[in-house]
Amino acid sequence: MDKALTKENNKKSLKKRLKRFFPIYIMALPGLIYLFVNNYMPLPGLVLAFKKYNAKQGIFGSKFVGFKNFKYLFKTNDAFIITRNTILYNVVFIIVNTILAVFVAIMLAEMTSRLKKIYQCLILLPFMISMVIVSYLVFGYLSNDNGFINNIVLKALGKEPVFWYMEKKYWPFILTFVMAWKVIGYNSIIYISTILGIDRGIYESAAIDGCSKWKQITKITIPLLKPTVIMMTLLAVGRIFYSDFGLFYQVPQNQGALFAVTNTIDTYVYRGLLELGDMPMASAAGLYQSLVGFVLILAANLAVRKIEPESALF
Amino acid sequence: MKRLLATVLTAAMVATLFVGCGTNDNGAATTDTKQTETTETAAADDTAAAAEETADAGLAEQAIADRKAAAEASGEYEKIVVSFFDWTGAPAGIDRINEKISEHTRETLGVDVELLIIDSAAYSDDIKLMLSSGEQVDLFSTCGPGYMTCVNNGYCADLEEDGLLDNYGAGLKDLVRADYFDACRVGGTLYGVPPIKDYAIQTAAICIGTEYLEGAGVDVDAFAKDDLGYVKCTWDDIDDIFAKIHEAFPDKTVYSTQDNMLTQGSCVDNIGGDYYGTLLDSANSLKVENVYESEVFKEWCARFYRWNQAGYISGDAMTDKTGASARIKTGSFMAMMACGKPAYQNQISNECGRPMTVFDVGEPFMSSSAVSSFPWCMNQATEDPIAAMQVLEALYCDPVVANLVCWGEEGVEYVVNDDTTINWGPGVDSQNSEYFPNVLWMMPNQYAAHVWEGDPVDVGEQTAKFNDNCPVKSKALGFTWDNGDYAAEFTALKNAYEEYSGKVIYGFVDPETGLKELNDALYAAGLEEYMAAKQAALDEWAKSAGIN
Repeated sequence: MDKALTKENNKKSLKKRLKRFFPIYIMALPGLIYLFVNNYMPLPGLVLAFKKYNAKQGIFGSKFVGFKNFKYLFKTNDAFIITRNTILYNVVFIIVNTILAVFVAIMLAEMTSRLKKIYQCLILLPFMISMVIVSYLVFGYLSNDNGFINNIVLKALGKEPVFWYMEKKYWPFILTFVMAWKVIGYNSIIYISTILGIDRGIYESAAIDGCSKWKQITKITIPLLKPTVIMMTLLAVGRIFYSDFGLFYQVPQNQGALFAVTNTIDTYVYRGLLELGDMPMASAAGLYQSLVGFVLILAANLAVRKIEPESALF
Repeated sequence: MKRLLATVLTAAMVATLFVGCGTNDNGAATTDTKQTETTETAAADDTAAAAEETADAGLAEQAIADRKAAAEASGEYEKIVVSFFDWTGAPAGIDRINEKISEHTRETLGVDVELLIIDSAAYSDDIKLMLSSGEQVDLFSTCGPGYMTCVNNGYCADLEEDGLLDNYGAGLKDLVRADYFDACRVGGTLYGVPPIKDYAIQTAAICIGTEYLEGAGVDVDAFAKDDLGYVKCTWDDIDDIFAKIHEAFPDKTVYSTQDNMLTQGSCVDNIGGDYYGTLLDSANSLKVENVYESEVFKEWCARFYRWNQAGYISGDAMTDKTGASARIKTGSFMAMMACGKPAYQNQISNECGRPMTVFDVGEPFMSSSAVSSFPWCMNQATEDPIAAMQVLEALYCDPVVANLVCWGEEGVEYVVNDDTTINWGPGVDSQNSEYFPNVLWMMPNQYAAHVWEGDPVDVGEQTAKFNDNCPVKSKALGFTWDNGDYAAEFTALKNAYEEYSGKVIYGFVDPETGLKELNDALYAAGLEEYMAAKQAALDEWAKSAGIN
């Protein structure tokens, strides 16, 4: 009976809430429609991953072939390399970019100079640049014939020019550097807004108690930033099986000699399917990535809930 | 909130279900009408067949008359959409040209024709989307998505279904030789009509900017000329010439690279559409072999190694993906390799933006896929296959249509000279022309249209002769292979090739070590299995085609 009552109450309150927040629901509607159209409507199309597509029969009428379309992802030795690259790069990106972004956010938040806004804009700028253009900026530095590093820097140091696009060993660093340069400005925005949301009173009382700036950062800012950091990391972990296509395809100039360190699941699939034009195989790869991503985000969330329940996403 | 969301989502899901049903219903409806149509035509077929032998022409006439009558009743002509790509996207004058074509085809065929020209970079994706989403496109060039891809995905209609080609495309049957049709059959079914063009190639045509030859004092007249009028010479001569122009123009890079040493520089047959398993001596043998271990490839790699050591090749050759001719157009490169054909000098000079001299170092060759590389196809979902077939025939056989599609409007885009060749219209050039697709080689029948000034008026006949006289024709001409079952191996092979080929084909490493690396990687990626599958398919094809 109690249950029924609460249910009744819930219903009432739901109605009340609906009425009260009606304008807000209306505001959310375009976003919800967008989410639905983009993320839910294509879901039935996933069935394509298990079919041999034929335009005459359409997606749902095509023949079932079971897991045949997934085979190519695992059949060759490349499977190990691309999976390793995708995961390791993403792990490095998550760690490096989070640390740098938090660092930048704290610096900017502590800054009182009038130039703060300008710094903020400048550090955000790389995020606005398309990866294709970034790849040519990188090429401007690394080109063999006309590159800045080979022709100016290494020459000045009296060193032999390096054939950057043929040497695998440099690329893990180059890619990590480029990625960090590109995204920390954007990532730091969220941390800055969290820091600005922290009650100033806490800092004031800390200052009165004789707390140094460093102590304020380590004892107040960072602990209060933690939930945001965890949430951002969780989101990133969910996408650990996806790689930034532009970064891995455009920036190394789609260079074959560098495949061992630049080939990820996305670029592998793209290269293979560019020639084959096989939609079911592309869907299979996409489904595989999403499923693994889904499992990973659940696992990560579970881990967070064990360690720090308040910070878990759900 | 959660419950609300759930309700909304469920409602929307259900809605999509209904939408889904709706489309299905429509689909069923169209099939129904199609069926009635076919029964009707079948009935007409019977009566016509009973009436007389010359029924073919009658059927086609009847279809045209029917469409005209329908247009009169509804006030609107049926529209046929023809899609292909150019280099810059839909030209500015496309509406005008479409109207001009339609003006003519309304009279002759009782249909409107719309050209849907898409940027080359987007064409492959766009056309696949249009073909799978039910958007109207009736005829399309498979150059871009690839013929086998289109056939495998079921995009293409069977052109001979219900006597379509026989009854409504009689002109095509007269124009295109039966063996060229056969070359486009996949599993016995005809899905496409090849464009009328040069199928044979003159391999290894080294093109060098004339100004550089003059600047370096190379005496071109000292060499003999080949049958096509190009300078005949040997690789030693080319080495000499490169050395001279390198010395005379030290600031410029001698050779503009592209990965075409096999496609354009050899008589190796890339059977089945790729080089993982090839016919090295395709005129005489159907044995599938690994080209990357062959003498031909070794020779090329050694040549590039020599050129690279001599400084003829840019240090960025592996990274720079610009087209070879586009690089020469910038003025910092001097020579490239392509394949020759009749009237090639004009084409390459236009591409490179400067007069080029063509040196013929190779030999003529026709590969197994030469004819079937990018035929014109009909969408399997086209509403009126008969009208589409008749438009396809007009594209090949009607000079008015061919001229409009290839060159635009007379008096605007081009003017006709006294000898029937054409040149730019008043105040028009390749930069500001409102209609200049510049894809003549892809056009259904470029020889039904005018010839550009400077090219021989009889270039069509010359090309036909060039094709017919080609001494090295692949025995496997017309063999097609669906590698769908070996997609895993193919992807791995492609990756292995990309990873290890660049250094060796552009001469950055000694071929001895480079080739070994490449071959080891290819074998590890499953080359043997892939070649065996190819050989099995080829043997089966040869048996059924009676070739041994």
